[in-house]
Amino acid sequence: MQRSLSFEIFRYAAIFGFLALSLIPTIWMFSMAFKPIAEWQASGADLTWWPKNPTLDNFRFIFGESGSDLIVALERTAGRPILASLLSATFGTLIAMAAGTAAAYGLSRFGAGGNLPLALIQLRIFPPMAVMIPVMIMWAFLGLIDTWYGLALIYGIVTMPFSFWLMKTFFDDLPREIEDAALVEGCSRWRVFLKITLPMMRPALASSALFVFILNWSDYLIALLLTTRDWVTIPVYMASLSSSMTGQLYGAKAALGLIAAVPPVIMGIAIQKQLVRGLTFGALKE
Amino acid sequence: MTDMTTDTLPDDAGDETALHGGAEERKLGFWLTLPAQLLVLFIALFPILMQVYISLTDWSPLDGIPWYQAYELWIGLLNYVDLANDPRFWSAMWRTCIVMAICVPVQFFLGLGLAILFVDDFRGKRVLYSTILVPMMVVPAVAGYMFFMLFQSGGPVNDILSFFAGRPVTIAWLSDPDLALFATIVSDIWQWTPLMFLILLAGMVSVPQDQQMAAVLLGASWTRRFFTIVLPRMKTIIIIAIAIRVIENFKVFDNFYIMTGGGPGVATETISIYIYKVTQQELIWGYVAAIALAILITLSVVSALAIKKLRGAQQ
Repeated sequence: MQRSLSFEIFRYAAIFGFLALSLIPTIWMFSMAFKPIAEWQASGADLTWWPKNPTLDNFRFIFGESGSDLIVALERTAGRPILASLLSATFGTLIAMAAGTAAAYGLSRFGAGGNLPLALIQLRIFPPMAVMIPVMIMWAFLGLIDTWYGLALIYGIVTMPFSFWLMKTFFDDLPREIEDAALVEGCSRWRVFLKITLPMMRPALASSALFVFILNWSDYLIALLLTTRDWVTIPVYMASLSSSMTGQLYGAKAALGLIAAVPPVIMGIAIQKQLVRGLTFGALKE
Repeated sequence: MTDMTTDTLPDDAGDETALHGGAEERKLGFWLTLPAQLLVLFIALFPILMQVYISLTDWSPLDGIPWYQAYELWIGLLNYVDLANDPRFWSAMWRTCIVMAICVPVQFFLGLGLAILFVDDFRGKRVLYSTILVPMMVVPAVAGYMFFMLFQSGGPVNDILSFFAGRPVTIAWLSDPDLALFATIVSDIWQWTPLMFLILLAGMVSVPQDQQMAAVLLGASWTRRFFTIVLPRMKTIIIIAIAIRVIENFKVFDNFYIMTGGGPGVATETISIYIYKVTQQELIWGYVAAIALAILITLSVVSALAIKKLRGAQQ
């Protein structure tokens, strides 16, 4: 449909206006990550939107390399929290995908577990804060407090609704003829699922897994409650980059924030076609 | 290609069960769904029973007795009486509702406006679309930190204001109760407007073209077509988009807690922050269990009603 020129002008003006505002926070953090300490807190006329003397010192600092002009030495570097985030998010995603995919297939093909859709929607609706007391007691009892596998387990459960619903809509879309043909050939149901259905679903599995990984990687509250020291994740560790002694270590926090923010943004853009399906539990597919 | 499916809400399971009703299928279905069922039981049944039990006691992890002996501190329904009379709880509830009442409509209308701009093709659409989505993919805790930096009194927000005001502006955003709430709301709107946009655009694109074309031929104006054809057909997806944001806004924690810690005072204390503080700082877990249970029951009822209604709207 052809639109008038004035509408086209309005469209670009509105979109760019929105983007200009919307990108300020991201750009500010990006620029802060490369600023030397002298430019962190400069304000008024000295405020620098773009680092005058760009440096990698902030990144060196959070990984424990001294030689920057920061006087304080970090008690704990960012390496371990990054590992904690990676391990817990990855294994949480594996748990969610394994349980969610199997259940989605069971429901989609054999009608098993008819209670799961509603149960999982409710699991998604409940605020994590409202079940954390028993979870903290259970995790303490099982020795899972402050471990990456304890975090992975709760992440897997919390994000299973997403993997289940995503995979269910993908299985529902998959024609049964191919599977039926293999059944006629004499394959067992198990073999059909493992050797024929799952390989066909590889793209769907990949985008669902990325979606779930982003959710796990983004958690803050659960890690705040279930980790104390050894396995704190990036967002929890971030808070330790300020103290009454050092004040806010703006640049260091920004550098860490950048490290935390980049993977999900890249993954999210890679799977943007499936985002709507994932977020609306498959009520809308794109 | 977008298509709206109307059959994905609960109870649509097993449409072709009859075709595959053999013993092998039943067995396989059972084993496939078992892990998910066990995980749901593990995270729902046991914790909720434990929560009911603890909520009837005055137990705290500092008491030195294990949780299962909490009956020694049995206080019956006293926690629930306290809850009904806890001004801090109700003010946190009220504040959470205010945040919701501001964030959700603003996100909705901004998202709807953007979706209208993106519904047909134009140069650069793909790149601009991806760029708009960036905020919603940023880790919320990191987003909280971004806005913490922006709203410092020597930060860029005041810098931009100074530029327009022509004189130095040094507003202490995060230490003034009203402004702090405003700043946290801005961060929420920033992060989640893209989500509204994403869902509403997908819903808008899925409205069938034929009726719109007919309306064009009949000479209907754009506004008329939008309000009489497009919007009514987006009803379900609008409800879903708003429901998602209402649910998420009710849970809001990360960006608020990082920007202000709930303060100054309790000025930005949402319900999740309130529960977190009672859990971690005051450590009265019996009371926390009562709060949590009250919220769980309320949400279960509300969500069950909402899902029922939504299914009614789809049919």
